[in-house]
Amino acid sequence: MKLELGYIQIKDIQFSKECKVENGTLYVDPDAVKAYLYEDDDVKAWVKDFSFDIAKPGESVRITPVKDVIEPRVKVEGPGGVFPGVISKVETVGSGKTHVLRGMAVVTAGKIVGFQEGIIDMSGPGADYTPFSKLLNLVVVAEPAEGYQDHKHEYEHAVRIAGLRAATYIGELGREVTPDETAEFETYGIKEGMEKMPNLPRVAYVHMLQSQGLLHDTYVYGVDAKRSLTTILLPTETMDGAIISGNCVSACDKNTTYHHLNNPVVANLFAAHGKTLNYVCNIITNENVYLADKQRSSDWTAKLCRLLDLDGALVSQEGFGNPDTDLIMNCKKIELQGVKTVIITDEYAGQDGKSQSLADADPLADAVVTGGNANEVIVLPKMDKVIGTLDYVDVIAGGHAGSLRPDGTIEAELQVITGATNEMGFNRLSAR
Amino acid sequence: MGSIGNPRDYLILTNNPMVREHLEGRGRFTIRFEPERSFREILVEARDLVYAGHILYTHPLAGSVKPNETPYKSLIVSVEPHGFDADHAGLMANAIAVFDKFRPIGWELEERILRDFQLIDYSLLCGALNIDAAAGLSK
Repeated sequence: MKLELGYIQIKDIQFSKECKVENGTLYVDPDAVKAYLYEDDDVKAWVKDFSFDIAKPGESVRITPVKDVIEPRVKVEGPGGVFPGVISKVETVGSGKTHVLRGMAVVTAGKIVGFQEGIIDMSGPGADYTPFSKLLNLVVVAEPAEGYQDHKHEYEHAVRIAGLRAATYIGELGREVTPDETAEFETYGIKEGMEKMPNLPRVAYVHMLQSQGLLHDTYVYGVDAKRSLTTILLPTETMDGAIISGNCVSACDKNTTYHHLNNPVVANLFAAHGKTLNYVCNIITNENVYLADKQRSSDWTAKLCRLLDLDGALVSQEGFGNPDTDLIMNCKKIELQGVKTVIITDEYAGQDGKSQSLADADPLADAVVTGGNANEVIVLPKMDKVIGTLDYVDVIAGGHAGSLRPDGTIEAELQVITGATNEMGFNRLSAR
Repeated sequence: MGSIGNPRDYLILTNNPMVREHLEGRGRFTIRFEPERSFREILVEARDLVYAGHILYTHPLAGSVKPNETPYKSLIVSVEPHGFDADHAGLMANAIAVFDKFRPIGWELEERILRDFQLIDYSLLCGALNIDAAAGLSK
């Protein structure tokens, strides 16, 4: 199945009375976007108001607490539409043609629970740790309706849908625009791929999805990943939004929807596809709380790796703590099928970096890529402008009592920064 | 006595009042509510039961909320011992080691934030029990 991505480079965002993309500038009428968000009944029920802001690279701006980051895309040819099962109908995506508004993102921010996640600094030392500081961000700040305290699952759903709807609305503006650049991505059927690349090693990507409960969930074609068994996805399906994030906890190593759309493991495997390896498919598997689920899902992952006659598998994790167990179970069981693995994780090695990095381990996990130590302490300078609120900075993963100092600087662990130790390897800083 | 994997065999160890409030009577499981116990003390209690042959049904660590952030912990072990499982014992020992690795944060949590931490713990437990967490809250 072949997908063509047409990249429309966005160089500026401006508020305007009309909505359009012209000469690389996105013009947005916030009222028009807001009206579109409120067409959804859940949004209407649970979100009292939205405010919109624009954050550009290099500005003295801090966005917090960040919920999701989404790249606007629109399906212009072929079956289905973006975010299938959530925004578009459930129809298999990943073929045809999709336009991408590159260089920008829709960022949703606002409170859901009283301990909140995620900082994006657009300049200063914090900006180096988040890829989103390099994007033009259209920030949508949601304010909950009265009574939301007893309905946080519903409110979280409404904010998630609002972000996806905003991205869909913006993406639609790129439908008739001629892309600046196009690229094609194609994987093959099992037999076809073996015939085309008889001498190349067969490699798949085992993509682990956080799937545990409120603020810890991921959805595949609209299905809560915790209710699914391990299965196969074509890599191009993720590029059309088949996987979306409902994961708001642990800012540094959660995968936002932007990460899923632009998964660097997928991008790098495609870059090597047909040259040094045969990129067979993605295997998606969950990270549940119930131990028998972990057992079952990792058994299935290993079984599929064997069934596909793989030579190698890359395994990426999401989150920290009990997903370490899924990671090690997957790695160990896949290796025992005779398939070589490389795992991608991050570390909680203590502020001095001396503690054991993961909550689980096995000698078969002997090829590891790390996204960095999430416990490392960073001091973030005061910014001239805050989009969202600083109310929660003291009560944020990686923060501590007194994190927010009187002079406006923040001392905290890297955990607070959105995407800082991402376990797909989507990072700006590297030791390579 | 419930067979392995049967909800009758679920003993929920918890210090989270929301779990008792919203899950009592919603299944055949048993809730042992121990508000006086800390997060670590719940882990130690579970570890000792696992050492004595009780099955560990849920992973002792959360997916992302760090053990030094939240005071609440709920996990499920078997009501009856079914025989010692070295993997489960290892998970419990590792979880306590992870807990001890994180330094205390030192924040005093106000009631609304405590409720939110209760909610997350409750929601993750519901995920394991296959119970709709939101439906439970709205009764």
